[in-house]
Amino acid sequence: MSRPRGPTRLSKPYPGSRIEILNDASLRSEGRRPTELRAPTFEVVPGGADSADGSASASMGLTSVRVEVFGPREGRSRAQTLHDRASVNVEVVWVAFGEAGRRRRGRGDRRVAELTSSLRDTFQPAILTALYPRAQIDIHVHILAHDGALLSTCINATSLALLSAGVPMRDLVAAVTAGVHGSTVLCDLTALEEADMPSATVAVLPRSGKVALVGMETRLHVERFGEMFDVARRAAGVLCAEMRAVARGRAREILDAMDSGPAVLREGENDSGAVMVEE
Amino acid sequence: MPTVLPGEIIPAKHVNLKLGPGLQQEIGGDNLTSVVTTLAGYLQRSANGARWWVENSSAKRYVPAPQEPVIGTVVLRLGESYKVDIGAGQSALLDGLAFEGASRRNRPNLKIGSLVYARVSLAHKDMDPEIECFDAQTRKAEGFGELKGGFVTICSLRMSRNLLDPNYFLLPLLGSRFPLDAAVGVNGRVWVSCKEVKQTVTVVRCIEAADSEGGGKGIDGIKQLLNTLDL
Repeated sequence: MSRPRGPTRLSKPYPGSRIEILNDASLRSEGRRPTELRAPTFEVVPGGADSADGSASASMGLTSVRVEVFGPREGRSRAQTLHDRASVNVEVVWVAFGEAGRRRRGRGDRRVAELTSSLRDTFQPAILTALYPRAQIDIHVHILAHDGALLSTCINATSLALLSAGVPMRDLVAAVTAGVHGSTVLCDLTALEEADMPSATVAVLPRSGKVALVGMETRLHVERFGEMFDVARRAAGVLCAEMRAVARGRAREILDAMDSGPAVLREGENDSGAVMVEE
Repeated sequence: MPTVLPGEIIPAKHVNLKLGPGLQQEIGGDNLTSVVTTLAGYLQRSANGARWWVENSSAKRYVPAPQEPVIGTVVLRLGESYKVDIGAGQSALLDGLAFEGASRRNRPNLKIGSLVYARVSLAHKDMDPEIECFDAQTRKAEGFGELKGGFVTICSLRMSRNLLDPNYFLLPLLGSRFPLDAAVGVNGRVWVSCKEVKQTVTVVRCIEAADSEGGGKGIDGIKQLLNTLDL
């Protein structure tokens, strides 16, 4: 099977050195096993009075992304408001120091535009937009460092930021990038690996097992796709467990902070604040 | 109080079940209805199990509900009414005659940027919320109306509900040090007015410090903070 030739990527290895994707002992260039993920770091960042409604950062190995969420708030322009649900706006800022080569990417850049529309398509069905007609939810993504698996890291960070902002969602969205090298499926690709093999990003809603997004920009034989897809789905479920632990930890922190004062919420006292939804 | 995340199924069953914020009813494939969470937070229920809701402690965005006191900023004058920003998904409508003793000839003249303490009278997700500056039964101001002078600070929704609780320590503690005037809106806005600027700044900093997003200090932490400030 000949290696598919993709467009010129950024980090091409020098002619003198050869990066082996998988060595004889079936280990990758950093010593990972084929289906091993890089150590994820998820953080839900508390905000002050003037900052975003929700803010979170996610990093997989060297790829690092930070997301801020505003809303639901008043729609900015009449053209963008929908009469029966909230509109979800995504803005991606790719800072110049974020990758080797220091290239400034503006809004019209092809990769930035694709990232923006993929994120919007992923979260539009996951957020309960019907609860806020004519409002707007703004998601600002800042890409701090890029070493492969960019779309999936953005999706994970956005999930946690939406959670922290209190935007109602059907479920958390967890995503993982997977690729196929020969006949082995690899999970969580670095930039060097992404340049060398066909890869796809799969985003799932873990509790129902439904798939929110499958994005693939390279070409892959259809027989290899099924296995890669299954491995990616299971890996996303594992990643989601990490994200849940971080979200619960943050909720615990807030609970402990609240308990330190003498006024603790007693059951049945919150009636004036609740919006009653009758069945 | 179990912590929940979006997408969890809750065994909530009662004859008169009422679901509050954070819970939705879903109809499954075999026509079985289940209650699913949509927010991250703590699952709470009333003593008799009839009301269930998810308490999202870090929320800052307000969802309007009727009969709640809010603080808003006038953003637009439309003929006989005003558009007021209350920090929700849509701006609220305040009628020009919705003040105590207002008539066609005698109407308050609010400028853009003025503050009002009002009560939500109408709140549906499909319509602009409406607010009024008088009490519903008595038709008198009862503290609602324009707020002159002072300073508005933003806090989380949980903090504003705490401040409205008469047993909460913060405002009485500060009030014992110096006289202060405060209005609290459940939309996460607090208006403070004191004689001296440094007293106003003290109150604002204490509110920010007691808020969970700013550190969640308790009564001892606030007393320590007050000792470091020059009062």
